[in-house]
Amino acid sequence: MGLFDKLAGWLGIKKKEVHVLCLGLDNSGKTTIINKLKPSNAQTQDIVPTIGFSIEKFKTSSLSFTVFDMSGQGRYRNLWEHYYKEGQAIIFVIDSSDKLRMVVAKEELDTLLNHPDIKHRRMPILFFANKMDLRDALSSVKVSQLLCLENIKDKPWHICASDAVKGEGLQEGVDWLQGTV
Amino acid sequence: KWLEAHYDPLANLYTFSSCIALGGTATPNSSQLVVGDLGTGVYNMKLKVYRGTSLVSENTLLDLPTGLVAFLMDQHEPRTPAVAVASGPFIYIYKNLRPYFKFTLPPLEVNALEQEVWSQAREDKIDPMSLKEMLEGIREKADVPLSVRSLKFLRLLRDLFVPLKVVSRDIALSLSGCVMSLPLPLRGTGGQNRSQSLVIIIIIITTTTFLLISVYFSCLSPSWKQSGARAQGDMRFRGAESVLLSSVCVCYRESTKPKYCIELSSHPVGLVRVGKNVVVGCTQETLHGFTQKGKKLWTAYLPAPITTMSLMDHHARGFQAVLVGLTNCQVHMYCDKNLVGVIKTPDMVTSICFGRYGREDGALIMTTKGTHLAVQTEQECASPRCRDEELQSPAGVTVGMRSSRVLRVLLDEELQSPAGVTVTGLAAPVSSSPPERGSASLARARACRLCSPVPCRPPPQVQGLGPSFKLTLNIQNTAACRPVMNLAVSFLYDESLYSMKSAFFKV
Repeated sequence: MGLFDKLAGWLGIKKKEVHVLCLGLDNSGKTTIINKLKPSNAQTQDIVPTIGFSIEKFKTSSLSFTVFDMSGQGRYRNLWEHYYKEGQAIIFVIDSSDKLRMVVAKEELDTLLNHPDIKHRRMPILFFANKMDLRDALSSVKVSQLLCLENIKDKPWHICASDAVKGEGLQEGVDWLQGTV
Repeated sequence: KWLEAHYDPLANLYTFSSCIALGGTATPNSSQLVVGDLGTGVYNMKLKVYRGTSLVSENTLLDLPTGLVAFLMDQHEPRTPAVAVASGPFIYIYKNLRPYFKFTLPPLEVNALEQEVWSQAREDKIDPMSLKEMLEGIREKADVPLSVRSLKFLRLLRDLFVPLKVVSRDIALSLSGCVMSLPLPLRGTGGQNRSQSLVIIIIIITTTTFLLISVYFSCLSPSWKQSGARAQGDMRFRGAESVLLSSVCVCYRESTKPKYCIELSSHPVGLVRVGKNVVVGCTQETLHGFTQKGKKLWTAYLPAPITTMSLMDHHARGFQAVLVGLTNCQVHMYCDKNLVGVIKTPDMVTSICFGRYGREDGALIMTTKGTHLAVQTEQECASPRCRDEELQSPAGVTVGMRSSRVLRVLLDEELQSPAGVTVTGLAAPVSSSPPERGSASLARARACRLCSPVPCRPPPQVQGLGPSFKLTLNIQNTAACRPVMNLAVSFLYDESLYSMKSAFFKV
């Protein structure tokens, strides 16, 4: 980074770029969350299951996020690991109403955390316990218990309950991510 | 690898594999678990529906459920999900999980002599003792079985005769069968649009003697002829009769006589159809595989008696196996006669069901003897598929190899170029022909050249599209009188592209 870039950074003209991976099982609401974080004029109305992955960009007060919104379908999950190297932070989305697949989410999270590209890096991980609006949704505390998040010792992590359709709880999570990166 | 998704020791489910099904919703993404709960076996029979981990609805059943199937009802979109429950002489259809229709099986003909005896008894012309004697006589001689009432009467003690007679005075004698087999849903003619025509196969069995009275086929949605062609292959008598006869009969449409009969050495406890074959589990801790025509294919020996059997059909992966629940708290997964997986369960399993549950493709649902409900999901990266290169290989050398398809093409070209082969044929023409599989070709051809003068006459055959495939290499001795011994074959290959278990072996 040259002197000019630094200067621009101080002055707030140019924002620091952060690459974020958005991961989670299918139907957990990754695309909806990313869509909600974009400025309102760029949001799309219909969300369809992601094939492969898609790249989305949005800006906050001090950072410019480039999000790799990965597909969560079983057959595409093996694509995740190819993007671990580039990612500087991870957003992991959990469908908190799907108790049956909590164990699958845990398994995917464990594989993710034990991956050589991630294991020894201090990558911040933001968990969204999504779909809080549904009647049988688990609380974020319960979700973090089921996923054994307390075992993550070497990485900063944060879990927040969210409702991606209404956009509740998203800003809190992004604020945390912004402060940690 | 199986993950334990849910374990509910308080589910209070007492059921068997035939009374458990996945489906019941129009969209497969939200499929539910429908269970015909036998309750205590006498009362408290219920149709329970689970979504995810929670029970969403309960319907009381009047009689013991004997079979249950979930299917889609209408011809047109949107299709209505429906559940058919066979229970006693009725088949109840639940549309959208609400009672919708009830089929009644046609009553069976009652033995004329028996009817006569009872009508005399009604008019007090004969006393209970002689009634009993006459009924016993009928039971021994007549070919039509006695009605339930007569059989109950014969079991009664003498002093109870009179009240029974009074009670039964006004009720006409009837004999009805019982649906013992579950209906089978068949994928209809248009496989793409998932049109399921429900072809019900009803097997009527008298409740007491387990004699096969008649077999009915009926079809709910499209016309019978449409599905007839397919159905013919799928119609099969599901071993209910075999309970007493220790044989399995294969019936075809429009005939009550079995076309083929498979005699077993012991009583069958479960029967599953895998493709065109039939897998029968027997009481002697054995599992037999038969063709549809009754030819025995294989026998596998199990470590413990069988409690239940079910088919595991993994559509996404094109994999079929038989799940066998054993009394030693294990579930074994058999692909043909090969054991491809063992799942340990905390309790003895009484029913198994495999399919798409919720959003999970490979969910395995089990209920146990202690009326627990367990749901396990299969992890995506796990591959229980039967590795045929290992299993079917003869005693010869087998080498598994992985490579991509592009590489394979290259490989083929190299193999087929005659140069690699003919040049190697030196003065000592050689033989040795173990079927060996394996590896990268170009490397191999070169290897032959280097190590020994072995011409490889038909170029090695490559089977499969990858990522792992089989290479069959035939080495032939073309010399008339020179034996060749102690040949070494080594494979040279690019290790970044291929992997092999052993790149060197002796022939």
